[in-house]
Amino acid sequence: MADPKSLGNFTAQDAPTYESLLQCMRCGFCLPTCPTFALTGRERSSPRGRVALARAVAEAKLPFTEAIKEEAFFCLDCRACSTACPSGVNPGEVMEICRSQVHQQQSLPKWQESFRNFILQKMLPDPGRLESSMLPARIYQKLGIQWLVRNSRILKLGPRWFEKAEGMLPELHTPLRQRIPELNLAKGEKRGRVGFFLGCVMTLMYAEVSRQTVRVLSHQGFDVITPKLQKCCGAPHLTEGDRETTRQLAAHNLDLFLELDVDAIVTDCAGCSAALKEYEEILHERREIDKLAKFRSLVKDVSEFLVEWGLRTEQLQPVNRSVTYHDPCHLCHAQGISKQPRELLKAIPGVEFREMNESSWCCGSAATFSLKFTAESQNILDRKLNNVQNTGADILITANPGCHLQLAWGLREAGMPQPVMHLMELLGQATPE
Amino acid sequence: MTTKPLIDQLCRQLGKNNVLWLPEDLLVLGYDSTPGLHATPDVVVYPTDSEQVKAVVKIACDHNIPITPRGSGTGLSGGSIPINGGIVICTNKMNKILEIDEENLTATCQAGVVTLDLFNAVAEKGLFYPPDPGSQKISTLAGNVMEDAGGLRGLKYGVTRDYVMALKCVLPDGSLLATGGKSVKDVAGYAFKDLLIGSEGTLGIITEITVKLIPPPQDKRTFLAYFDDIRSAGKAVSQIIAAKIIPSTMEIMDKATINCVEDYVKIGLPRQMAALLLIEVDGHPAVVAEEAEGVERILMQVGAADVLMAKNPEHAAELTAARRTALSALARVSPTTLLEDATVPRSMLADTFALIELLTEKYQLKVGTFGHAGDGNLHPTVLCDERDEDEMQRAHAFYDELYEQVLAWGGTVSGEHGIGIAKKDYLARQIGPAGVAVMKRIKQAFDPAGLLNPGKIFADGQE
Ligand SMILES: Cc1cc2nc3c(=O)[nH]c(=O)nc-3n(C[C@H](O)[C@H](O)[C@H](O)COP(=O)(O)OP(=O)(O)OC[C@H]3O[C@@H](n4cnc5c(N)ncnc54)[C@H](O)[C@@H]3O)c2cc1C
Ligand code: SF4
Ligand code: SF4
Repeated sequence: MADPKSLGNFTAQDAPTYESLLQCMRCGFCLPTCPTFALTGRERSSPRGRVALARAVAEAKLPFTEAIKEEAFFCLDCRACSTACPSGVNPGEVMEICRSQVHQQQSLPKWQESFRNFILQKMLPDPGRLESSMLPARIYQKLGIQWLVRNSRILKLGPRWFEKAEGMLPELHTPLRQRIPELNLAKGEKRGRVGFFLGCVMTLMYAEVSRQTVRVLSHQGFDVITPKLQKCCGAPHLTEGDRETTRQLAAHNLDLFLELDVDAIVTDCAGCSAALKEYEEILHERREIDKLAKFRSLVKDVSEFLVEWGLRTEQLQPVNRSVTYHDPCHLCHAQGISKQPRELLKAIPGVEFREMNESSWCCGSAATFSLKFTAESQNILDRKLNNVQNTGADILITANPGCHLQLAWGLREAGMPQPVMHLMELLGQATPE
Repeated sequence: MTTKPLIDQLCRQLGKNNVLWLPEDLLVLGYDSTPGLHATPDVVVYPTDSEQVKAVVKIACDHNIPITPRGSGTGLSGGSIPINGGIVICTNKMNKILEIDEENLTATCQAGVVTLDLFNAVAEKGLFYPPDPGSQKISTLAGNVMEDAGGLRGLKYGVTRDYVMALKCVLPDGSLLATGGKSVKDVAGYAFKDLLIGSEGTLGIITEITVKLIPPPQDKRTFLAYFDDIRSAGKAVSQIIAAKIIPSTMEIMDKATINCVEDYVKIGLPRQMAALLLIEVDGHPAVVAEEAEGVERILMQVGAADVLMAKNPEHAAELTAARRTALSALARVSPTTLLEDATVPRSMLADTFALIELLTEKYQLKVGTFGHAGDGNLHPTVLCDERDEDEMQRAHAFYDELYEQVLAWGGTVSGEHGIGIAKKDYLARQIGPAGVAVMKRIKQAFDPAGLLNPGKIFADGQE
């Protein structure tokens, strides 16, 4: 039954606004920056095409078809198009919203459920130790494995992709969240107090990175508070189109962190900071404008934060290596942060920074290993690896766990010597104990 | 023929991967950048060479199906929209640069090569392909040739037409036509090449293009000049030209445009200024120094509020890139962006600005104006909402009155975007019934069955 409040063939709940679709003037500036368009050459898999499809649904010229669902999930949500678009259109966000429409409009296939169980078992070394049994599920969503599952038919993956997928998953550790003290005191002259948002993938897979982040922050003169009660940022749920759960998580984290009375809320996961910065919009129904605005103004990616306050370099030890940097989509496209990480790298004594070509081109992490199975799709990763190779740098630096996994796997498969490091790991190396 | 057998036949000729027929694909290949226009083709093909184009045209001819060529769909007059349905031929898979001939200074490309890709490829060999429409990042060469696209460098270097040396195309009956060549002179018979350029895909389907290359300028200097009122900016343009200085670029943006562009690029453009001129002089270092001095002097004389010189090549590139985003950036203000392409003799520039101001007031509209000031080519853009009928009517009245005066001044209704669907009525006003009639006879000579890109340039019944 048609809902009077609904927009064309969208259901009323969590539909894109008509204005956000009309805003596209179809100039095509976004086309050369879109990885899925580069992959397929198909207009419907381009930002301009995706917005046009959504507009057709909004104008009731097209039902919410299987093909639109496919596009919603085929989109990497890398936001390169938002950066490229002079008209302020966000095709990635439109697709994200369409994913939530998928849940409302279509029932999910059964095989997805069984795959989730597979991941739960594989990825849960000791379930008893984890705070919540949902954690690994969130991770598998966040790494794009769920994306892969949903698209395995579209991508026509071979039967052996399961094994490969398994091979790529890193080991899980005891979550850092349980080991890290709730308060780490500032070293040297104290400059302020920050709340540390510890992402799910970080706490489980990159515990060492986040340990370094906390150490660097305290060495830079900040008390670091890592609240034990914090929950997932909600990004995976948003990506999957489960906006309701995102709202609940957002509300919890918002209240928790605002009570801390800190100078900033800092994270080292680009996916998390991007999501936290969207709370204002996600929770707009709460109508607590001041509170939401305050939270928004406090959230900082760690590189953004350190550059804003100024990096204390006096005590840094030299790291004599050449490095290149891959811009995570969620940092450069979603948050416009690309100068800061470079500034930090250049500030580390001994580091020789080498810019790579197309540093802000998606590494394909959302699609991960999946794409390995077609000749075309290997292009996304190959393109990146080629650009890395051409720099001849010793180390590949990035700042997001999704990219980290994808790149580490890609380099290993290609037999390339570079290790992948998070920016904070390198800064950690330069920071004395 | 119903669609199913047609699709089968096309698949056999081109391979299944090069044919699209799902509704979601068709829907997104029936628009270009012209607001408010959309039509749905019956099937879309992506040929990879001229043989495949020929095969498609043969099939279309046999079954009397209309064909519409399409590049990247950045056209601003609706040229690639399949208003009668039928087959859309996309050239995007014909994207190979076939040869860069350093002896003859030419490049030969397939039709679908992206403008900027060619620019970069020849730049790597120390050569220069000047035409640079705002859309160069994605527009195709054939699209440029078919609209005779101009660009930011038009003032000194000319438009696409000035660089086309040879064309290969498939005529609507399936025969091949090659015209022009690498020789710099050619007067053998009618100048088909010149007729095809700017023909908006109505005479033949371009498959291969040979363009002229030139050595790049050795030096350049880039300025931004700000003005408190837009008419002084117009005066500056005429006086620079009158002083016999031909800058490579002389682009204008008004206050509304400056603000929208600044919202996007955030490079510190002054939001309170009424107008800005982006001026670039290039060439031999000695000449550049002399011309730069001249430009600065004139800018001061006409009362520019401030003149700023680019600090380095990166800064200059940033300023030019900012200008290229003008149209799309204006689009952020309102749901619909109606843009026009009025072009006047350069001496009338200041008057044209005055007229635009007057009409904006009269029709109570929001208008942003930018354009290739040095070419007398302005893009007054009405920022409106297609759902507001009254506003749309006022917008059309605005353009009607504007064009009446532009024509009276000896100007044209389209400097570079073409007639397409959007401006058929205006064309008739400009060239009169005799002009339209002879154009139609030319069209008939090339395309007696009327299958190629029907409904463009002139209305079917138009006399
Ligand atoms: C933001 C923006 C800025 C722009 N700036 C400029 C500018 O500065 N100067 C300028 O002149 N234009 C400009 N344009 C207009 C547009 O980009 C140009 O007209 C461009 O040449 C169109 O190229 P396209 O590949 O997108 O062609 P399309 O829009 O796909 O097609 C244009 C016409 O060419 C025909 N065509 C395409 N390929 C072939 C072929 N192989 N054979 C026969 N016919 C064919 C089509 O049928 C259609 O009539 C701008 C557009 C936008 C959106
Ligand atoms: S999304 Fe933006 S860049 Fe892409 S076509 Fe639309 S307006 Fe242009
Ligand atoms: S978010 Fe990335 S993949 Fe999705 S449309 Fe934009 S550029 Fe393409």
